Amino acid sequence: MAKQYGFYFDSSACMGCKACQVACKDKNDLPVGMNWRRVTQYGNGNWVPQGKFLVPNGTFVYSLSIACNHCENAACVNVCPTGAMTKRSDGVVLVNQDQCLGCRYCEWACPYGAPQFNEAKGVMTKCNFCQDLLAQGQNPACVDACPMRAIEFGDIAELRAKYGNMNAIEPLPTANITNPHLVITPHRHAQASGKGTGKILDLVQGG
Amino acid sequence: MSENNFLTNALTDTLISRRSFLKWSTALGGAAMVAGSGASSGLQRVAEASTAPAVGNWVTAACWHNCGGRCLLKAQVVDGVVTRVKTDDTHADSPDNPQQRACARGRAQRQLVFGADRLKYPMKRKNWAPGGGNKELRGRDEWVRISWDEALDIVASEVKRIREKYGMASIFDAVGSSEVGRALAITGGVVNRWGSVSWGTWAEAYHEITGVPGNGNDANNDRIRMRQAKLIVMWGVNSAWSSNGSPTYNYLQAKKAGAKFIFVDPMYGNTASVLADQWIPIRPGTDTAMLLGMAHHLITNKLQDQAFLDKYTTGFDKDHMPVGADPKNNFTDYILGTYDNTPKTPEWASEICGVPPATIRQLASEIAMTHPTQINTAGAPARINNGECLPHSMLTFAWMTGNVGTIGSGCGPSMHTAASNPGPALVTPGAAGDPAVTNPISKAVISQGAVNAINNGEMWEAVLNGKYTAGSEGKKDINIQMIVSTGFGAPLNQRMGATKGIKAHRKVEFVLADGLNLASHCKYADVVLPVTTTWERDGSFQTGNRDMLIWTSKVVEPQYEAKDDIWIAREIAKRLGADPDKIYLASTMQRVFNQLAGAKVMKTDGSGMETLVTITDDDIKAMGVTGKPQQGRISVQEFQDKGVYQVTRSANDKLGYTAFEGFINDPVKNKLATKSGKLEIYCEAVSNWVKTVGFNTKDPLPKYDPPIEGYEETLKDPRFPLQLYTIHYMRRSHSSFDNLQWLRELYPQEFFMNPVDAEPRGLKEGNIVLITSRHGKVIRPLHITDRIMPGVTTLGEGAWIDIDEATGIDRGGATNTLGGDYPTGQGHSGHNTVIVQVEKYNGTLQPDVKWAQRIPLKGV
Repeated sequence: MAKQYGFYFDSSACMGCKACQVACKDKNDLPVGMNWRRVTQYGNGNWVPQGKFLVPNGTFVYSLSIACNHCENAACVNVCPTGAMTKRSDGVVLVNQDQCLGCRYCEWACPYGAPQFNEAKGVMTKCNFCQDLLAQGQNPACVDACPMRAIEFGDIAELRAKYGNMNAIEPLPTANITNPHLVITPHRHAQASGKGTGKILDLVQGG
Repeated sequence: MSENNFLTNALTDTLISRRSFLKWSTALGGAAMVAGSGASSGLQRVAEASTAPAVGNWVTAACWHNCGGRCLLKAQVVDGVVTRVKTDDTHADSPDNPQQRACARGRAQRQLVFGADRLKYPMKRKNWAPGGGNKELRGRDEWVRISWDEALDIVASEVKRIREKYGMASIFDAVGSSEVGRALAITGGVVNRWGSVSWGTWAEAYHEITGVPGNGNDANNDRIRMRQAKLIVMWGVNSAWSSNGSPTYNYLQAKKAGAKFIFVDPMYGNTASVLADQWIPIRPGTDTAMLLGMAHHLITNKLQDQAFLDKYTTGFDKDHMPVGADPKNNFTDYILGTYDNTPKTPEWASEICGVPPATIRQLASEIAMTHPTQINTAGAPARINNGECLPHSMLTFAWMTGNVGTIGSGCGPSMHTAASNPGPALVTPGAAGDPAVTNPISKAVISQGAVNAINNGEMWEAVLNGKYTAGSEGKKDINIQMIVSTGFGAPLNQRMGATKGIKAHRKVEFVLADGLNLASHCKYADVVLPVTTTWERDGSFQTGNRDMLIWTSKVVEPQYEAKDDIWIAREIAKRLGADPDKIYLASTMQRVFNQLAGAKVMKTDGSGMETLVTITDDDIKAMGVTGKPQQGRISVQEFQDKGVYQVTRSANDKLGYTAFEGFINDPVKNKLATKSGKLEIYCEAVSNWVKTVGFNTKDPLPKYDPPIEGYEETLKDPRFPLQLYTIHYMRRSHSSFDNLQWLRELYPQEFFMNPVDAEPRGLKEGNIVLITSRHGKVIRPLHITDRIMPGVTTLGEGAWIDIDEATGIDRGGATNTLGGDYPTGQGHSGHNTVIVQVEKYNGTLQPDVKWAQRIPLKGV
């Protein structure tokens, strides 16, 4: 079987600090609005009376850090009208900006928000697995950045052998859309995609 | 292939699970919203991302901030431009010997050093004139570029003029012991600031109660021994935001080793999200009441470790009181209410702290019956007005359970650079070798009363009204006519009572500031001097994590006309007629060398320190310094290349640490430096200390004293029914980093509130809300969350004050705009006791990331 790179993410260890996200921005000089790796938090809980006190009931919070999952059935590749979005022999999905028209179909199609539009250049951008570092035998920037050691990468078969096949916890989409090359160790409170009782906890601004 | 099927596939695939698709997309809401903003990274120059890796040198670049983390950062320099940063890869990573990995702030540091909003040139306020000119324009005026000579001449002439007119005690070093303050000290003197900002009441109470010097940051186990704890209580600790870097990873190792984690905190923070087995929400400022209720449960159920108390403590009951003390004033009788008719029952405590009595009993029992238990706290619960009894009651409770001095047990503030890993430093730098400077007019030795030294809690009041508290002698007159805000500290933004601070800045005749950018203390100054970052300096040593010492190197030349603080201080000293060599060594490289040559490392058998660095004649020649060759563990070259020396640790090595181990093993031979030689539940020393400081009094016992602007006042003052406490927020290290676009994008400085409080006010997620206190008003976007306790709100400390001149409202959301200046106890700052009201704001507020950068000089 051909090599296929994928990411491993340990949701049980992630503290949601976004070091990976900024390391990615720094490595790739990403302006505001472009985040090839994205950290978010999911959870819920409510407050119920206990005598005359209100006490928390079922509070849970967990964090996710997701880049591009370089999917088996990559929606971005499938919808690209120009062939700019391609899957390399090692499974890394890349966008050729010279061929990209900036139609943003891939952005619309990807359920992970991986392809991101560069307004200034009018073309798509995305996580390229730090291909320059990979070529030098180094790790992607996000992997080496994590203070909690929650991100790894490698051949997806090896990652699955080591960590199992979990690849979809809330608020990620169900895996059947694109078959992501992602392995997740679920947080102790993680909920299966599509069956969650929580919500995304980051500020929704502009209300 | 994609041309043929792209539309079909897109439709089919996305319809399969549109619901789960959309959910994740909302996580990108913030990013998607700003994507169209003509986004820039806010850098002066940004190298294009390239598929060919840039070739350059990796230089150890300081992450020099006061965040509590201590991490290794390296900058890749290509043709004099820093193209990216990376973190520690100097050794193989393992839980015992972790790489010191940097956080989001460290990773964003290019934007700080090379930001378009860096101060480039010395500046003066357009309408400044000797004596101040139009002083009301401070904070509103335009800026004019001036030369270094003109700037330094203005500073020197204003110092001389003000000293002649008002005397030596007229210049206030609002930072306290700044570099420029040294220049002022040797030329006649300067009024200093004093008082703990971060550590709450631990800063002095711990020393008096235990006899151990310091603030209690070494009161627990080092990170490896901590793994032997069966229970770890995190009382007001959120290391994921307060001490990012390695600490939370260290706690995770304790969790993996089997420790149960209980969090006592008004908020279910990010650290709790990783570690918590139980969350006990508690109202800010009421922890002492809860601890006393827990003590009551132990006493009435005879769950206390009486043998421990009898052997190691004084004051627990009438039979163990110090000679001369009123035997009725013992802890047990206070708890039982024998003489004050108020038993400190869990029911009594619960009314105050908001924790149900059953939970108070459960936590008390669990700690009493679990050995070893480690109680980690931080400055936060003690960072309150009238907080003197918090450290005392927490330590007393831990002693009642016997959880002190045995491996895996302990109690104290595990915070800042010692978070998760306390103990004596295993690697230390030498002294820089600067001469000692004496300030002839100012003394902050509080045991004798302050002289020409002003406490945090009344500094702006003293400037405005000419009085300060001089210990038990009471108030004395002072006439401050110049404020110096140079070096470390950002006092206007970071001391309480900032609204009063702005008035104080507009009252005096001259305000001098320096900085990297136009942060609040610079914005309200007359003359602003641009300083270099540590990246632009000859080198520095970063300490605090006991396992290692970081040696950083110069990454780039000083940006524009920025100069380092030492150069500035020396130039001011010269202009005031003093020999600059009397305050700092002339050669900054010599300072680096001295610290390098004096660096020590613990021997592997733990028996003492030995020389760290081998230095040759060639090294000395290369550095251009004077010194002697020496033999150590590693070469200069190796140390500089790696940028860090980290001691190798393992579970059974000789470098572990447990506080009070010697005392517990032999309390006679290793008696403590308290009056009784024991741990003092009845402590006259702390009581006397507070009395001498002169703000209020403290009983020798730990008793509950309701804080000013605490929960009780929300019941009495219907204008302000909500509590506000102020958290460390990942966008910043205090006020540093607040201006970075990458961090503004990810951390919007939202105001946190429970739905129980938001709904009756008609507030919705993302609304702009007006938060009003007795002291000021701010507006912020609202985040409604079940993660915070009802009745309690929070906001990250350190945002830059941004006053809307039309309304007087602070748009930036600086917590010190809301917090009042109340000097209490030992003169610490009570940042976590503020009461507020919240309402919908009928106006707009752009997300911070869309704000224009503060660029004071256009077109230069």
